[in-house]
Amino acid sequence: MPAEPLLALSGVTKAFGGLTVVQDVGFDLPRGGRLGLIGPNGAGKTTVFNLISGVYPIDAGEIRLDGQPISRLPPRARVRAGIARSFQNIRLMPHLSAVENVMLGQHARAAGLGALLTPIAWMPRGRWRREAEELLAAAGLDIDPGEVVANLPYGIRKKIEVVRALAARPKLLMLDEPAAGLNPAETAELARFLREIAAAGTTLLVVEHDMGFVNEVCDRVVVLNFGRKIFEGSMAGARADTTVREAYLGAEAADAA
Amino acid sequence: MSGYWAGILAILAINIIFAYGIFITAAAGQLNLGGAGFMAIGAHAAAVLGEQLGWTPAQTVPAAVAITACVGIAIAFPVLRTRGVYMVLATFAFAQVVTGVILTQPALGGAMGLVVTEYVDLPVLLLAAAGTTLLAFWLMATRFGLALRALHDDELVSTLMGVPARAMQVGAFAIGAGLTGLAGGLYAHHFSFVEAQYFNPLLSIYVLLFVLIGGTQTAWGPLVGATFFTLVPELLRVGGSWRYVVFGAIIVAMMMFRPEGIVTRSLVDRLFSRRRPAPDAG
Amino acid sequence: MSASVSSRHPLLTSIGVALAGIAAVALLAVLPGGSTLAQQVVSGLMLGGIYVAVAVAFTLTIGVLNFLNFTIPTLFMLTGMVAWGLSRWGLPFGLSPGLHWAPALLGGVAVAILASLIVERFTFRYLKTRHGDATEHAIPLVSSLGFLLIFEHLVLIFLGSEAQSFPVRFRLDLHLGPLVVGLPQLASLLLSLGVVFWLSWLLQSTRTGRALRSIAESPDTATLLGVEVARIVPIVFLLSGLLCGVAGALFVVNYSDVSPFMGEHVGTKAIAGMVLGGLGSIWGAIAGGLLVGLLETLGIHFFGGDAAQVAVWGVLLAVLILRPQGLFGASRIGKGKL
Repeated sequence: MPAEPLLALSGVTKAFGGLTVVQDVGFDLPRGGRLGLIGPNGAGKTTVFNLISGVYPIDAGEIRLDGQPISRLPPRARVRAGIARSFQNIRLMPHLSAVENVMLGQHARAAGLGALLTPIAWMPRGRWRREAEELLAAAGLDIDPGEVVANLPYGIRKKIEVVRALAARPKLLMLDEPAAGLNPAETAELARFLREIAAAGTTLLVVEHDMGFVNEVCDRVVVLNFGRKIFEGSMAGARADTTVREAYLGAEAADAA
Repeated sequence: MSGYWAGILAILAINIIFAYGIFITAAAGQLNLGGAGFMAIGAHAAAVLGEQLGWTPAQTVPAAVAITACVGIAIAFPVLRTRGVYMVLATFAFAQVVTGVILTQPALGGAMGLVVTEYVDLPVLLLAAAGTTLLAFWLMATRFGLALRALHDDELVSTLMGVPARAMQVGAFAIGAGLTGLAGGLYAHHFSFVEAQYFNPLLSIYVLLFVLIGGTQTAWGPLVGATFFTLVPELLRVGGSWRYVVFGAIIVAMMMFRPEGIVTRSLVDRLFSRRRPAPDAG
Repeated sequence: MSASVSSRHPLLTSIGVALAGIAAVALLAVLPGGSTLAQQVVSGLMLGGIYVAVAVAFTLTIGVLNFLNFTIPTLFMLTGMVAWGLSRWGLPFGLSPGLHWAPALLGGVAVAILASLIVERFTFRYLKTRHGDATEHAIPLVSSLGFLLIFEHLVLIFLGSEAQSFPVRFRLDLHLGPLVVGLPQLASLLLSLGVVFWLSWLLQSTRTGRALRSIAESPDTATLLGVEVARIVPIVFLLSGLLCGVAGALFVVNYSDVSPFMGEHVGTKAIAGMVLGGLGSIWGAIAGGLLVGLLETLGIHFFGGDAAQVAVWGVLLAVLILRPQGLFGASRIGKGKL
């Protein structure tokens, strides 16, 4: 019997008021895998993320983590089960400092009233704070951890988003366009950082438009178009696939090429 | 100390406790415009328990806190279903119902009010205000406080970070209600008289102004806001109504030039740490 | 929360409700002992007409700007007190002797509109910081509370804190069988409904109305589509000043007295009417305002004032929690886009 995949989607469907945005999508993501979720704008990639993390309930199908169905769980239970994510548009808390945002990411691991009511701000050497600062440093972020994030530049905030998700120590890390808006040097640095994370055992699910980045980070891709899965396999396979080319370029352009 | 300043200090102490009661929910992004209603519950609970059952202030005040906190929890579940302007209106309506009920029940004082015989002196009030301030600073430094501030900025994303939003908000609402109950109980025993008419919408409005103008980002906000707005009208050397015109103008100017309140996060950083000052870029 | 303002025309429904109401009153009037009750219903509707105008002012600012404007009751009061001051002492600086009541009332309305535009100048034009957090909507709300204090105490300083009698010599009663309907009351109900109908036509069928509705849907999209938000927003304040002014003037004509505190009572009842009708819905505010007037008059008649307060606010709280879209509104639920 093959090893149980970490994440398994089957027949996942979601409609908003008569418009079906995700239809019958299914794929498996093995433990330690690095899957890229790609497709043209409006293909339903972010919606799939929202369905996995529990922003919306699914209409049909099943989502399993470690073999356990999670489709009925509230979002915070899914974080505790081991799913953490970042957001397409930066959704850091603007009034919190960098390190506080990362400590917020730890919330799912801090169970119980005791953890909730122990001061974490007054103790610069407290366990949680030290861990958060180390995580920021490990990501190559050379910033004052006490700086309020609204004052930080875009590239740095984009990276703090990834670090905040990592602070939950997830089994599955979902990143929604982590390289969008970064310059080539920052993108290469991020790709290196993500490969490190993956090497340490975290499973990755990445939505991204930068195909070079996907190629570098992911070992496999799933292509969505109009809410349906049109391809699953290697990046090279996706490049050669006629349906994928049509989806990206339009039918005639694909024929001409 | 002259009686005049003792009176102002007593009001200040009660205002600070009251303001922290409203602050703790505002820190999580919920505006409570029903403060006077919660304070009325605390004040009348202390008055009735003291007069009818002969309890001492050492018993009535904790009881007032507990009763108000329980009412807070009970009302939090339905009220927290509402958002933004709706929540402002719902808490406002709640306070109107509370004072309306008191007015119609002679046992609660009705329109005549209740005399409270047991007296609590100024040092107790000051001690309670200091204790409340410490409690607020402590809560804001914990993971609970961090979760509240995160909910203020972005509720949906907080939930996706594993924050149980509803539990946190109900907790904040209960603690806040308990503090307003404390303010009410102390008010009853210090001023020796409670009447529903005192707990009018204007009182709710004032306390929310203390909090929002003080700033909701740090625990300094309510302390500064309540102190500022209790002392400034006294210090303004203009008479009667002009004082309030100036007060209103200060509020309008504050919202124009410092809409996040007097004390903001960056200000505290600049004042209290060796860090380089944060640039004021948005 | 996405703001909106709706003014869909359930015209047939409202005509139907009105006819049913008239029939019910007529039926009550002919029943033995029913005429007192019928008289209460008529008075309640007249009072409700004033609440309607103020409730529409509230619902307009909330619907278009997501702004709970606490100066609205003060504008209502300002109309009455300024008009009284004009009729008693005339224009300031001894420019004229005491005015006739009609120009005095017009002056009161003008001052209310002016005050509303001043509020716009100092609240909305300075609202530049947008963090999109949960208490952002409180910034103009707090400013409006500041203006509430300023206006109220300026009135106290210059016009005194006493309630004043301001008799308007314009009394004519219609006797419909056992019912007595004051002509000014009837005129005011019609005038206030007329203003609201005009407003609803304005929103539905004019360029300005379309611009207002697009701002209500999304200020950012409206700006992209070329709507000059900065030029349209003052119109909301002009209209709400006008509505409060008209309501204040009608209050004076009907009840012949004014006080610096007359705004609080009417303001809270108008808020109740708006909530019952659903925030941002003009037709809801009309129905809600009339309903609150009716409930209040009947409640006081049967149970007394304080019990009526508990009933009105209790119902309101229940509606906010159970049907935040109002008794007549459609539900509008959205989630933040990620």
